[in-house]
Amino acid sequence: MTSRYSLPFRDADIVVDAVGDGSVVGYLHGGVGNPGVHPFLTSLAAHDRRVVAPSLPGFTGSAPCPDIRSLYDWVVVTSETLDVAGLAGCPVVASSVGAMLALELAAVRPEAFASLVLIAPFGLWDPGDPTADPFARTLSGQRSILTADAMATSQFFDDQPDRAAVDLIEDNVARYSSRTSFASLIWPIPEFGLSTRLHRVTCPVTLVWGSDDRVIPVSYLERFANALPNVVGTHVVSGAGHLVEWDAPDAVAELVVTAPFYDR
Amino acid sequence: MKTLWFHLMPYPELPDSFTDDHRSVWVDIDPKLFDPKVAHHMYNDYIDELEFAATVGFDGVGVNEHHSNAYGLMPSPNIIASTLARTCPDVAIVVLGDSVALYNPPLRVAEELAMLDCITGGRMIAGFPVGTPMDTLFAYGQNPLTLRERYHEGVELILKAWTEPEVFSFNGHYNKLRYVNCWPRPVQQPRPPVWIPGGGSVDTWEWCAQEGHVYLYLSYFGYKAGLKTMRGFWDRVRAAGKEPNPYQAGFAQFFGVADTEAEARRLYKEPAEYFFNRCLHVYAGFADPPGYKTPATVRSGVEGMIERAAREATQRRAAPAGLGGKSTMSFDDMVEQGYVILGDPDQVAEKMVEMATRLNVGHILALCQFGNMDRDLAMHNTELMGSKVLPQVKHLFDDRWEDHWWPKPLADHERHRPVAR
Repeated sequence: MTSRYSLPFRDADIVVDAVGDGSVVGYLHGGVGNPGVHPFLTSLAAHDRRVVAPSLPGFTGSAPCPDIRSLYDWVVVTSETLDVAGLAGCPVVASSVGAMLALELAAVRPEAFASLVLIAPFGLWDPGDPTADPFARTLSGQRSILTADAMATSQFFDDQPDRAAVDLIEDNVARYSSRTSFASLIWPIPEFGLSTRLHRVTCPVTLVWGSDDRVIPVSYLERFANALPNVVGTHVVSGAGHLVEWDAPDAVAELVVTAPFYDR
Repeated sequence: MKTLWFHLMPYPELPDSFTDDHRSVWVDIDPKLFDPKVAHHMYNDYIDELEFAATVGFDGVGVNEHHSNAYGLMPSPNIIASTLARTCPDVAIVVLGDSVALYNPPLRVAEELAMLDCITGGRMIAGFPVGTPMDTLFAYGQNPLTLRERYHEGVELILKAWTEPEVFSFNGHYNKLRYVNCWPRPVQQPRPPVWIPGGGSVDTWEWCAQEGHVYLYLSYFGYKAGLKTMRGFWDRVRAAGKEPNPYQAGFAQFFGVADTEAEARRLYKEPAEYFFNRCLHVYAGFADPPGYKTPATVRSGVEGMIERAAREATQRRAAPAGLGGKSTMSFDDMVEQGYVILGDPDQVAEKMVEMATRLNVGHILALCQFGNMDRDLAMHNTELMGSKVLPQVKHLFDDRWEDHWWPKPLADHERHRPVAR
């Protein structure tokens, strides 16, 4: 069962994509949001799961939230999003900026997640091995750095067929809003003190990285693994870029359902 | 019509191969290209030029703010303005201005501009740009999501600091000040004129129209390219129920004056090519980061000045040489498209009137030094503009419109008299 629906969120709405039947697993997206049901959601649902994927405010159809001005605001908004979407206490897969927010939330609300599968989270910074700036490049450059195969994110970056001209303009505005929200979460350096809070993340965590991540070097997997108190698995997906689940949806779905302590 | 002599202060010794060897004049330009000894002469030459302009017929002189670049070397416009405050006693001084969101708290801007207004006896115009994305987001690390809200809050704080008669508290999202008490306060009451430089943001038109600020279009690409933008602004003014007073607008334009058109082409070719090809050599990846534009501007499809410059530079570099592609823009193109208004004084005056009339702008920011133009040529250009062009154009609009956005200085008998030396 596939559906896209809206839920009231403060004075506006957020959009949720849901697919499949079975035990519930949440997905907190990365920088390209959820431009409709995408291959990773479908792959994960194929393992007899109901995947619930809210778009955070400002991303892919969810209205921007004018109250967001700081990372603290984002963490509160993420917490509310889990509640509104019925995901509090569920196992969650979180990617990129979504993974960073999941860690920040888990540090202050440890019961928010039954377990986490984190795909290349932002949040740490090594000046000798820095993360890339995904935005100091042209739009095509911003796109190509996110995945090993630039076409993997076509659903987000490209105009969709059979759309009227006026809708394409609004699609472009919505895409710009998503990119703005993505940028705002990691601007100018994606390090906001998370390392001092990681010891508070007590739920089981599985870490996944793409071998060809050009945004956050794969060496950061070890940094997170060393800093988190309850890492139950680490995986490097060969040939995948930063948004591993977009490059290799089936492989990541398999890792999720076989991760220790995945189910409640 | 009022004409101000406006300086960008470009770094004058970028290498000939700069466009080919370096990706950007802004943000990550090679620090090794900067020579402080060059800058010593550059700053003093440029201040000489501004001071000279103040003596030959211009109504004002102008400075602005940029960071981490060779396009314009005024990280602090207030420093340059403070030198001019003393040495240019008879003209307006327009600071275009302080990028409000970059100051913490922006009360500092209120204080420094009030100092300038006191020193000048009320000849200061306060410009408040949002700032380019290169300056604000990349060089100064502001967050694109909050830049404009922070900017508007800062402007609100400054204007309130100038006009509130009592000490007050300011509880903003970004500025928490228990006691706001701006000492000094500006000479001009209730406050100095506010001019807002813009590069094409739809929301800035709307805001200026509603608040009654001057909208100043900082165009690099001539008045014909500016028609759409200015039309958008005037539409907003009319929609706000106000008259289209040309003095509520300004426009920046490059000028090159000589005794003949042929001489003008000979004199200004190199500096124009230097400016348009090297000073505007902005890497496209710095020109349009997500969040810098408002949703309304994205929806309108209006392209900003910097964005256009970067796009055109990228297109020129990408064009195959064998198919006529070249990494630089030709001088003939610049003149043909009106980027630079060139000619003898009569020709320039005629084009200036045409430009001001069609755009309906009462304030012209004249760029008479550009690129690597040396001081002697800049002064020659300035002198011809001041003595032979401006007398032909200065009365435009006077028969119908009053300039409500011009400084109101102290009367002569109230002004400070410098000590004889």
